[in-house]
Amino acid sequence: MTRREGNEDPDSRSDPNADRDPGSAADAGSDTDHDHDGDRGDRSPVRSGRLARAVAGLRRLPGVVRIRAGAVARITRWEVTRGVGSVDRRTAVLGVVALLLASSVAFVAAASGGVALDTGVYRVGVPQDSPYREPIDETPSLVARPPSGELGEEIDVRVTADGFAAADARKGQAALSALRNAVRRHNDRVMGTEDNRTAAFPVLVRLRYADRADPTLPSRGTNGSDGGFAAAGGGADGAGGAGGAGSDGPLPVPNVGGGGAGFFGQEATGSPANIRPPFPFASLVLAFLFLVPMNFVIQAYGSTILNERVNRRGQLLLVAPIQPGDIVAGKTLPYLAAMIAVTAAIALAVGGGVVAVAAVVPLSLLFLASTFVGAMFARSFKELTFVTVAVSTFLTTYAFVPAVFTDVTPIALISPLTLVVRDLKDVPIEPLQYAFSTGPVYLCAGVLFLLGAGVYREEDMFTQRPVPLKFLDALDARLSGRWSVAFVSALSIPFVFVAEALALATLFALPIGVSLPAMLVLIAAIEELAKSLHVYAGYANARFGTGIRTALVLGSLSGLGFFVGEKATAVAQLVGLQNVEPLGRATFATAGIGVVEAAGLLIAPLALHAVTAGLSALGARKGSRWYLTGLVAAVAVHTAYNAAVVVALG
Amino acid sequence: MIAVEDLRKTYGDFPAVVGSSFEVERGEIFGVVGPNGAGKTTTLKMLAGLVEPTSGTARVADRPAGAPETRQRLGFLPEESPLYEDMTPLSYLRFFADLYDVPRETADERIGDALDELELEHRERRLGDVSKGMKRKVAIARSLVNDPEVLIYDEPASGLDPLTTNYVLEFTRELSASGKTIVFSAHNLYHVESVCDRVVIMNRGQIIARGTLAGIRERHGETTYRVYTTVPVEGAERDEPAVVGARGGESGAGTDRVSTPKGRSNDGIDDRYVAEVDSMDGVESIREAALTAGGRVVDIRTREPSLEDVFLDLAGEPPADDPRGEGTR
Repeated sequence: MTRREGNEDPDSRSDPNADRDPGSAADAGSDTDHDHDGDRGDRSPVRSGRLARAVAGLRRLPGVVRIRAGAVARITRWEVTRGVGSVDRRTAVLGVVALLLASSVAFVAAASGGVALDTGVYRVGVPQDSPYREPIDETPSLVARPPSGELGEEIDVRVTADGFAAADARKGQAALSALRNAVRRHNDRVMGTEDNRTAAFPVLVRLRYADRADPTLPSRGTNGSDGGFAAAGGGADGAGGAGGAGSDGPLPVPNVGGGGAGFFGQEATGSPANIRPPFPFASLVLAFLFLVPMNFVIQAYGSTILNERVNRRGQLLLVAPIQPGDIVAGKTLPYLAAMIAVTAAIALAVGGGVVAVAAVVPLSLLFLASTFVGAMFARSFKELTFVTVAVSTFLTTYAFVPAVFTDVTPIALISPLTLVVRDLKDVPIEPLQYAFSTGPVYLCAGVLFLLGAGVYREEDMFTQRPVPLKFLDALDARLSGRWSVAFVSALSIPFVFVAEALALATLFALPIGVSLPAMLVLIAAIEELAKSLHVYAGYANARFGTGIRTALVLGSLSGLGFFVGEKATAVAQLVGLQNVEPLGRATFATAGIGVVEAAGLLIAPLALHAVTAGLSALGARKGSRWYLTGLVAAVAVHTAYNAAVVVALG
Repeated sequence: MIAVEDLRKTYGDFPAVVGSSFEVERGEIFGVVGPNGAGKTTTLKMLAGLVEPTSGTARVADRPAGAPETRQRLGFLPEESPLYEDMTPLSYLRFFADLYDVPRETADERIGDALDELELEHRERRLGDVSKGMKRKVAIARSLVNDPEVLIYDEPASGLDPLTTNYVLEFTRELSASGKTIVFSAHNLYHVESVCDRVVIMNRGQIIARGTLAGIRERHGETTYRVYTTVPVEGAERDEPAVVGARGGESGAGTDRVSTPKGRSNDGIDDRYVAEVDSMDGVESIREAALTAGGRVVDIRTREPSLEDVFLDLAGEPPADDPRGEGTR
């Protein structure tokens, strides 16, 4: 059924420009009103008509783009004006004052070396010419006093020629401990400036972070006698010591540490006590700063979208001669611009570069796209709150958790925030790494906007249906025929990739005995859900006939679309995710093409996807319970297949 | 100007509109009448391009309904006035003029004219702070900013006070006089009767009658006669005083009746009785019965069927199999 067929203008078929004002806004969407004639009986004239329309459409393209850009600009301008206008002056003034106040405090704190509640808490009596004077002056919690002060009253610790005397109180002991730490740090720093580091640090440790199951590792307790001395990694943001791992280990961990000074200038050399795991804490904290504003912006964005749906306010925009896509774009642009502006400002403040901003843009889009879809599904502002909090939590986790492993494993690259961390650490980023990290996020955002825009119409915007049903409606809105099932399956690939990558990032730290089976089941479940949910949505909206043959055809098409789209995950191989043994292979290679096994496995995944999607479709045609039954069966078959492939590939 | 052919809309298994067909001429006020759930609003939304028909065709302003070039020539007024309440009337109307690509000067001129015509005050006050009647006027002004050829008004006077209602209805007539084609929906049949040239009556998604009001009355209503007597006769009831300003449609020896004290009419007779019959033979029978009982007939009035009567008469029957078969023009 082509629902728009009924409204076609027969006259305008022969003359695409008939009844139109050249250059008017009406031209903007005229194409959509004349391209649904595929089922007409007289094919040849239709085809020639299509060609003529295509040519005419191309000629009109610049004008259409200009007009639609104009429409988007109008909506954007209106959204900005309304956004500004909806905040009363008193609130705006209070907000600006609060912001200035917070900024001043932050500036003062930064200028004074940070907010330290314990500044000068311990009083140390020390002579002016004592060698301990310098470490005391360097430590904020210690303050130098004349040594003649009364112990316990005027000073907590006294430095004498023979050593230290602490007041007989808990504070005195704490002051003594703080003094010792200060002296140790001072000594480490001084030793670190020595040219002869071997003399300064007689004990040298070479760190290599590798998979715990790595058979090439020497047995526990042996020393690192695989060659020469190297500096130990250290410092809060260091991981520089991971140096050799990028080249000689079985795990191709990128040499993100750089081996030298990190973002905060930490030294690669230090006392063994200072060696810490390769956790880029400082960079992560700064990278997290990029995410914080997004959580605020999506609140405002979600509200403005839902506001259009409350009391049918957006109905009149739908009657205006503009496309729903233009409305969505126009309402989204100001918030995207705000996010990018804030990101750029933060990047400027913390020393990030263009890469950091470019890495945050897809995240911003994904935050907005998820919120948009949520706001299109939510029935009230209360529901919207749940949606935005869920979006915020999930996406922050997705962005943040993998980035924790920036210095450890390429899994971290599934998060664009990893790129930010690396940018802050002055580690170069390859274009392919950028594409791998941000590509799925861009695609997910695009598909989400597509889903939401599909229900940005009178019939769906203002109905009060539960969120899951709205989601099914949105999927159904993207179906127009049997082949569209394959298309939607292919569109699901970015989500499948992200979900599987997140599962990998979550499970890879667990013992293989647990993580591998879990991963195999999880992968099967994710993929089967992606292949079948839209088919079920179509059945739920009575779009398809309920015959067995139809279900099998739909299942096959869904499997085919998924198979084709899945090949996009081949990019994973290019950045080495499959080398995260064995989970990476389980995740990205079970249904994909291996290097040697390509010929044998080319057909098998296609058959698998078609068969399992067919099982789900067979269930979906009979309702929700049968759909779940079919889905479970499909997951079982898929899991068995995955297990067989993993075993076969060793 | 508007041509609808076999328009159909179903929501799942529910048929909201079933095979509607009608045409509207330029400058005409065309009424779509029916109770709640009859399919009026769905029909109007399909004309406005808001809802895609399941099948059938609709052309508005001689173009496919819903096409951007059609929307450019269309003014739509939904039943509610979903305004952006943080905006002022002026900024709201300017925004919509901008959406319709109306040059600023032209827009300001049109907006000023419309607001003057509608006697809209408080043009700089936020829409959230103005009365419902004012909001409706702003909504009407909004439907005119693009100087549309066709206006689709869904329940334009719904929920308004009588004064504003009359104002809106009068304004609708003026718009029609200026050449606009108007499709007008209402469940208040008096509103429809007072402004529409032709109507379709819908029930359960189907058109059950169509044509001019006079034609529909002629086809579907029947003239009745009220015979007033001084004595009770068979089928007569004691006459109760009429309501002040009772609506027209009743004619006879005098004009519309005026209120009188209970039991006393304005003809000086304390008690009188009224019987309603549908033919002159019935009138004669009453007259003879009154004479036999020692009384007389004091008044005979004819009563034309209102649209409401016609609708009740039609809606009480099952819809015709062929929705176009009854009273097709």
